[in-house]
Amino acid sequence: MLRNKYEWAIWIVVAALLGVGWIFLSKEDVRKAQTLTLTEAPIVGHLAPDFTLPNTFGETYTLSNYRGQPVVLNFWASWCGPCRVEMPFFERTQMKFNGRVTILGVNQGEPVATIRDFGARQDIGYPLLVDENNDVNLRYTINSLPTTIFVDADGVVREVVVGVVTQAVLEDRLESLLAETP
Amino acid sequence: MYPTLSLGPFVFPTAGIAYLLGIWLSLTLIERAAKRLHLNVEAVYGVAVTGLLVGFVAARLLFVMEYWAAFQENLLGIIWPLTSGYNVAAGVFFGAAGAFFYGRYKQLPFWSTLDALAPGLLGALITISLADFLAGPGYGKLTTMPWGVSVFGIRRHPIQLYEIAIGLLALLLWRQATELHVHDPQAAARRTFPGQAFLLTAVLYSTGRLFVETFRDNAWLTANGYHVVQVISLLALLGSLVLLARFSMMQPSLPTAENL
Repeated sequence: MLRNKYEWAIWIVVAALLGVGWIFLSKEDVRKAQTLTLTEAPIVGHLAPDFTLPNTFGETYTLSNYRGQPVVLNFWASWCGPCRVEMPFFERTQMKFNGRVTILGVNQGEPVATIRDFGARQDIGYPLLVDENNDVNLRYTINSLPTTIFVDADGVVREVVVGVVTQAVLEDRLESLLAETP
Repeated sequence: MYPTLSLGPFVFPTAGIAYLLGIWLSLTLIERAAKRLHLNVEAVYGVAVTGLLVGFVAARLLFVMEYWAAFQENLLGIIWPLTSGYNVAAGVFFGAAGAFFYGRYKQLPFWSTLDALAPGLLGALITISLADFLAGPGYGKLTTMPWGVSVFGIRRHPIQLYEIAIGLLALLLWRQATELHVHDPQAAARRTFPGQAFLLTAVLYSTGRLFVETFRDNAWLTANGYHVVQVISLLALLGSLVLLARFSMMQPSLPTAENL
């Protein structure tokens, strides 16, 4: 073990300089999405896997039809407490960004009646999609609820958030995505 | 990558299994470390369990309080499901506070107790990385290296395996740093100081995380694009080095290069 305070000081200064230098070298370009447009995968930089799902009234929604505007995919279930926490945020956000963004609530494995009742009780206005066999949940490897995926206007996954998304985060991310949208 | 484990007709979530095993591993490591360092095993074990329980309950309760309007309609939602919905900062703060006050109540020496807790903390960090590798949202940057792993058909750095390797190296360092306590406790008391093993492992682990975080693709970034984990790691590294310097210079009987 070093004893001399000057030796220690040298080591600490060297560690600080190397550390700060490495942090600067590792800095990311936050505006750049790593677009690997050839492959679909539910991770950042890839095309969001396309799907078609019905809502509780039987109307179908296809993800790729929303190219040209940001889309938020929110995976949820009625029994999930944290999902209930964030659903009013999605509702308010949908109203605030009226028509400029699309929010799709993809349910995990529950029957149509449960989803319809829940949506009516919570007064949810954005589409709640039925995925009773969990096909889309499996394609998006949803292991934890809620999970929210931000997709940009080109259909590229830009962020995956596991856990509750706050109103502030939602608005911040959507404003960023809208600023990039031609 | 491997979110479920199928055994016959049963399917188990691998992350949940990893966390359960991680808790057992961490507590076992702490128990053994306390024995190795000749501390009160029961009291040190109590510190760990108190920190764990207080942290878990506080993280959940603070989250529920923050969003009470959403929970009051569905009170069962407070206790189930428990897979998400935590105020992590509150959990860490209250867990650490609970552990600290329990240690004070049991009159445990602060730095020696941290030495005994270090392997358990490393075990917990290794578990978090393992759960992320098996079923978490994390993944590394693109690579052509032969040790890259395939994520949705694309080869990427196995960032979580790097983190696990650093944790295992830190555990080896801790073992080495406490070797003298096993063979010659009196010499250990003269030649080492309380907190030394904890601080050395903190230096190694934080240096490693500072380095490998570069290879994480979905990193937690500041608004300017800097990796938050790297900034935290650098602060932990420098803090540990400063404390190591201070304690080693305060220890009068530590060997110098001349009398080794």
